[in-house]
Amino acid sequence: MRQITYIVTRFDGVKSFTQTYTFPHQPGKTLLWGLITIKETLDSSLAFTAACRAAVCGACAIRVNGQAFLACETPLDGILDRFGDTLTIEPLQNFPVIRDLVVNWEPKAERLAAANTWLKPQDNFSAKEGCKQSVADFKKITPQINCILCGACASECSKLSANSDDFLEPFTYSKVWKFVADSRDKDAAARVKAIVDKGLWKCLHCVECVTKCPKGLAPGEDIARLRQMSIKMGYTDNPGARHAKAFLQDIEDTGRLNETKLSLRTIGMIGSIGKLPFALRLLRRGKLNPLHAPSKVKGHEQIKAILKAVRESEQ
Amino acid sequence: MLTFDVLVIGSGGAGMRAALEAVRQQGLSVGLMTKMFPTRSATGCAQGGINGSLQNADPNDSIEKHIFDTVKGSDYLGDQDAIEHFITAMPDAIRELDFLGVPFSRDSEGRIAQRNFGGASSPRTCFSADVTGHVILHALYEQCLQHGVKILADWYLLQLVTDEGKLSGVVAYDLKGGRIVPIAVKAVVIATGGAGRMYWLRTTNPFTSTGDGIAACFEAGIPVKDPEFVQFHPTGLAGTGILMSEASRGEGGYLLNNKGERFMSRYAPKKMELATRDLVSQAIETEIKEGRGFGEGLSAYVQLDLRHLGREKILERLPQIRELAITFEQVDPINEPIPIRPSCHYSMGGIDVIDYKTCATAVDGVFAAGEAACVSIHGANRLGGNSLADIVAFGKFAGLGAATCAKQRGASNESSVDLAAHTWADKFAAVTTRKTGVTTAALRDSLAEIMWNNVGVFRTADEMEAALAVVDRLIAEYQNVMIPDQNKLYNSAFVNYIELGSMLTLAKTVVLGALNRKESRGSHCRADFPSRDDDNFLKHTLVAKQNGEFQVAYRPVVITKYPPAERKY
Repeated sequence: MRQITYIVTRFDGVKSFTQTYTFPHQPGKTLLWGLITIKETLDSSLAFTAACRAAVCGACAIRVNGQAFLACETPLDGILDRFGDTLTIEPLQNFPVIRDLVVNWEPKAERLAAANTWLKPQDNFSAKEGCKQSVADFKKITPQINCILCGACASECSKLSANSDDFLEPFTYSKVWKFVADSRDKDAAARVKAIVDKGLWKCLHCVECVTKCPKGLAPGEDIARLRQMSIKMGYTDNPGARHAKAFLQDIEDTGRLNETKLSLRTIGMIGSIGKLPFALRLLRRGKLNPLHAPSKVKGHEQIKAILKAVRESEQ
Repeated sequence: MLTFDVLVIGSGGAGMRAALEAVRQQGLSVGLMTKMFPTRSATGCAQGGINGSLQNADPNDSIEKHIFDTVKGSDYLGDQDAIEHFITAMPDAIRELDFLGVPFSRDSEGRIAQRNFGGASSPRTCFSADVTGHVILHALYEQCLQHGVKILADWYLLQLVTDEGKLSGVVAYDLKGGRIVPIAVKAVVIATGGAGRMYWLRTTNPFTSTGDGIAACFEAGIPVKDPEFVQFHPTGLAGTGILMSEASRGEGGYLLNNKGERFMSRYAPKKMELATRDLVSQAIETEIKEGRGFGEGLSAYVQLDLRHLGREKILERLPQIRELAITFEQVDPINEPIPIRPSCHYSMGGIDVIDYKTCATAVDGVFAAGEAACVSIHGANRLGGNSLADIVAFGKFAGLGAATCAKQRGASNESSVDLAAHTWADKFAAVTTRKTGVTTAALRDSLAEIMWNNVGVFRTADEMEAALAVVDRLIAEYQNVMIPDQNKLYNSAFVNYIELGSMLTLAKTVVLGALNRKESRGSHCRADFPSRDDDNFLKHTLVAKQNGEFQVAYRPVVITKYPPAERKY
């Protein structure tokens, strides 16, 4: 009989270890079924969380072979086809682990709360009368309201993995955008101002949050929306905004990036000097040529035309 | 000792609404305890909407019509004074949700949109696409964050400690900290949800709907009211019990038996598949019992056929249904019928609330709201859209009730709470060091099987007597369960063990209530007593624990304006 194996990263509060569980395959099951089978037939001490088993509560996100999945809705057979009959199962990354596959959401909730993620209704609305919102305005927040706080985006976020001190969980940016975009909210400007200093320009554009979200949100795109809004509101005196503007300027001027100019425009002469060791490494590997002033790319006129069209469409 | 003025237990819509209301009363320490993380709660599974007579979609709707629909839907078992209080509060409660951040779907004038729903005489179900419960849950969580509610996530209720009929505190298991904790509390709100998991795989409920709070109240001497009224949704997926929304029938789906017949023609020739939930569930079970289903035993089913609707309509109107069917039954409804069977959906019964204005119970300091509670507003059958309404209305009442109570009560008797915590620590040690015994899962499966087979959609005295014997035997065997995990940190096996204890206790109240109610009313359908009997049973069942024994008593239903009449749709 076909056997499948989960190699589970475990933690008992003191030590970490891996444990291998092998059990008979059944067709048509889910990743979560495998965990339940282990708990009920092999080892009742294995800790994990699950509740709705219909992809709406967000309790059962785990990592399988290095990627986050919602265990309840993920067909096991598809995973086995992709990875083979032995799977490595880990808790979500970028969360403190309580035990085995159970992670601690408390610090994440604190960071969520610090971003003021609740509606601040406009003054003309009241608890007694409620609010008004057009059908079109409701649609503007429809993808974001589907977030189930499963943590898959936070687990796979390359920026959080590198350093979580100056960046928030991707779902938090989506929540902030939800309120910025909510026509009932009166605080869009203050929200955008606050988020600029909460890592808004630190996203690495790896798009892991977008590809891993089980509910079709795109936190990376919400971050981009917040960035655009911040520039429109005049929050341009920061490296992120300067970098974006310099980037755009290069594209407009020549259609090519000029890394040296990009650095000077983004972080200035003093800052760029601080980056010299990095620049030297780039030089050594042939990735940077400070003497080379790139010529215009072929079709540069079309690029300019595109930029013009975009600008016109935004007015 | 950890202390709170108000401790809310359970973090679904009712619990979070209660915590929010309590924290708004200045000067009280308010805690919100939940066995997982707040937004994992069953409220998030509710899709369709929340009822309130806003008169947005129908200017001719009225509070009175909503009251009457609810009374009639309850098969006249709901208390009419409580229903009036509840329905009257709903329009304001829904507009307040809007103000608190719930993103509702809108009509062309920017007002909250409303749709038609079962048993409603006007379109009054407010909704947010098909994720209404989810958005209410998350907006209330956001509000709790804003108002600084102290959230104890991954904390599990073990016991309500009382002295002479008054609350002293709570014993809880702090899963993250790996310790059993006494908490001195002036007032608690129990909002821990229903107990549908006593039917295990034959329920639409999350794994966490194990009736912990109801059982803790029962152990503290508070009766369980009307436990026999369990709503079965006709179309749960065969393998998992996961809900296939009523919209699948609303859009024109057929129900087929193993002969390919649209069998509803035998039971409801006019309404066919669009008959009421009770009737359709009963029809499906009859087909299976008489050998016209597919498969056998617990895995028997009939088919929900959507193919004739065509690909386009399925993709446009029922996309989530299709996704769930593909994921959980490997069936694409565009090409194949979906295997379905009724699935336990909702506990109309629950903690006996004796004051619908404050949600107080018989024990001073203990309040209850939401599915865990029985006020009673749903009576023998809850209307769709009235459960989300219930949690926001009564969550608020209970939060205010508990806050008011906490302001009046003196300090708790900490020594009795401490003593109870020590007893639990001993119990943890005993059950986790036992070397032989039965497993939680084995007993749980036996419970689910006997409850489904003998106390399900159809009930008879003989079958329920047999079920009672089995439940009693399982309760005896429960004393010998072993948990081979001595780690105090996040010991979910221990939690599952306590949850099973709650389910066994509540299953016994369901069987006793059902056995003694010799009539058919709403969801309680007895083959041996097929008619409603207002002369003898227009009353609430109260199952209470007295001197260690389960006792059954009754209380009259409150009738104000609407004399009982035959229920026809």
